[in-house]
Amino acid sequence: MELYLGVDVGSVTTKLVLMDKKKKIWASCYLKTSGDPVLALKEGLTYIEDHLPRGGEIVGVGTTGSARHLAGVVVGADIVKNEITAHAVAAITRVPEVRTVFEIGGQDSKLILIREGVVEDFAMNTICAAGTGSFLEHQAVRLNVPIEEFGKLALQAEQSVRIAGRCTVFAESDMIHKQQLGFAKPEIIKGLCESLVRNFMNNLATGKTIEDPIVFQGGVAANQGIVQAFRDFFQGKKKIVVPPEHGVMGAWGAAILAMEYAPQETAFQGFEVVNRVFENRSFTCGDCPNGCEVVFLKEEGVIKALWGSRCGKWTPETVGQKFAESKLEEKTDQRELSVS
Amino acid sequence: MRATFPHLLHLDIVLGILYPTLGVEIVPPPPITSRTIEIGVEHAPQNACFPLKVTLGNFVEGIERGADTVFMAGGVGPCRFGYYGQIQKIILEDLGYDVQFVLIDHPRFGWRPFFQALKTMAGGRFSFPRVKKAVSLAWKALVFTEELETQRRALRCQVVNRAELDMVIDGALQSLRKVESGSEFERIKKEAWSDLSALERKKENNFLKVGIVGEIYIAQETRINFQVEKLLGDLGVYVHNSVSTAQYVLNTFPVLKSKEKLEAWELARPYLKRFVGGEGIDTVGSTIRYAQEGFDGVVHLYPFTCMPEIVAKSVLTQVSRDFDLPVLHLAIDEHAGEAGLVTRVEAFVDVLERRRKYWKKAEGE
Repeated sequence: MELYLGVDVGSVTTKLVLMDKKKKIWASCYLKTSGDPVLALKEGLTYIEDHLPRGGEIVGVGTTGSARHLAGVVVGADIVKNEITAHAVAAITRVPEVRTVFEIGGQDSKLILIREGVVEDFAMNTICAAGTGSFLEHQAVRLNVPIEEFGKLALQAEQSVRIAGRCTVFAESDMIHKQQLGFAKPEIIKGLCESLVRNFMNNLATGKTIEDPIVFQGGVAANQGIVQAFRDFFQGKKKIVVPPEHGVMGAWGAAILAMEYAPQETAFQGFEVVNRVFENRSFTCGDCPNGCEVVFLKEEGVIKALWGSRCGKWTPETVGQKFAESKLEEKTDQRELSVS
Repeated sequence: MRATFPHLLHLDIVLGILYPTLGVEIVPPPPITSRTIEIGVEHAPQNACFPLKVTLGNFVEGIERGADTVFMAGGVGPCRFGYYGQIQKIILEDLGYDVQFVLIDHPRFGWRPFFQALKTMAGGRFSFPRVKKAVSLAWKALVFTEELETQRRALRCQVVNRAELDMVIDGALQSLRKVESGSEFERIKKEAWSDLSALERKKENNFLKVGIVGEIYIAQETRINFQVEKLLGDLGVYVHNSVSTAQYVLNTFPVLKSKEKLEAWELARPYLKRFVGGEGIDTVGSTIRYAQEGFDGVVHLYPFTCMPEIVAKSVLTQVSRDFDLPVLHLAIDEHAGEAGLVTRVEAFVDVLERRRKYWKKAEGE
């Protein structure tokens, strides 16, 4: 059986999806990236290998997410696509009549407008954390509520309290203020959910016509409190669908894109990748005041890929030469690559 | 007098041709880098627009290289740009730099200060024939540098080897720095054109076409706008930029006027009748022109908080709907993140590609 692998390495979570020619998902996993995308990828690959159906063969790989290029090199991708396209493709596959996609992830949120199965417009918030999963997680920690319980608690609230959601820090002080006024936890959580929704709509949807059906996906879609807050925002007039695969839509989209791309021969490196040693190294180029932070990925000691050289003078070859000549390697900054 | 000036794409080349003939030594600021931006951001008011900060950084770096005079264009009121010179002058004074700040304003605001500034900029000796000759060569060079960049944008998606394209164009720009006579200039120009036409092209020719509109500085200065044009070209897109310094300069002279600009203003009329500052009308008009010329999309580049462009942005929402032309708005300042910008540009190109496929399918049915 011919299978396609979709990989979505985000800032907070890493998702993998195994799909067949009919776009049916055979296996999927949802892991924490925890600042180490390569390790998360290896874990994900191990999971997929364990769940590979008998006679299954991977014939195409697509990667997406903020670490799509890194993931593409490690796994061996046939196609590397941005997360907006990947999410849109998956949403159109799941709900063909979809007209709007809300995607709220760990560190960004997206709004995609779709007309007749074609993306018409999109907006993306990458500057401010106040409309994303990280905002909720941060507040959940403060309230001492596990993030998984967060949504359920919000549904128990009988009334809501308005919390300023423009900025993460000010939301927190406003929240403390409301706690001190005597509001109960569920009410405050409901208020937080509503402020996130308000923020999302203000930041991304200004001047855009939101038509339903709306597909709500991304990690935050698991939070019933947010789903309810969106329904309340539209006063129940818009149809909001949360697909069961909401968490892995990006990876699914990447797999679909890989299938559409139909490589003659896949670049997939195989599951042996798990046993290879990958190292992320970086150095600051001091040749001009730009001070580019050049990051490169070494596989078994060989430089496979490189990022961050603005003028283009650093390539895997020139960096290799630089280190061979001056043996600077020991002195380099051996920080792990953190993907934002 | 050792004069420095702000960078604007290849302005250093143009002034490098103009000044030696006038007997004024110029000290070009080093190329714009992260340090330039850091200096500008540190000393400029926080809510000033981004070009003010970058050009301020240019001045400080130019002074560090030994300049004792700063040349800056003013212009009392197209937008906040009119204040740049005055504010930068005060900031440089506050920083303790002892420099002469020569601000050239539009003659509309007084011929006397205009000629006085021109005289200082021309090295005190203002002999008309000499200035005329130098200006004419510098003008030709400015137009030529812009033509070269136009070719770079247009050809990036078409040539087989992109590095070769950059080599030809950067090579021509480099040799322009040493040009002294008109005949030499013509030779460089001829060579560059023949080198460009000799580049090997790809066979297909139905590229996506994207036009660039926006504020004059951000839309042109590739070192500030994250090389959006190069990014688009690498994604296989034919790029055209509607913004041009030459047209801007032409248009400031009442007799000459820029045909292109007048045309754009005429096109913008149903949407925007009045001058809203800066390049607001041009942005709207050029977008409509791109729609009429069958472009697939438009990228709108402007500094964060730029009032004229924000007006244009609101108007573009309607233009985009009426002409069914996708527009990507990119606001740029020191906080803009490259990763987010790249993702949005890539997604925008995907949108255009999928739209084309969809329309083709719809037409086929």
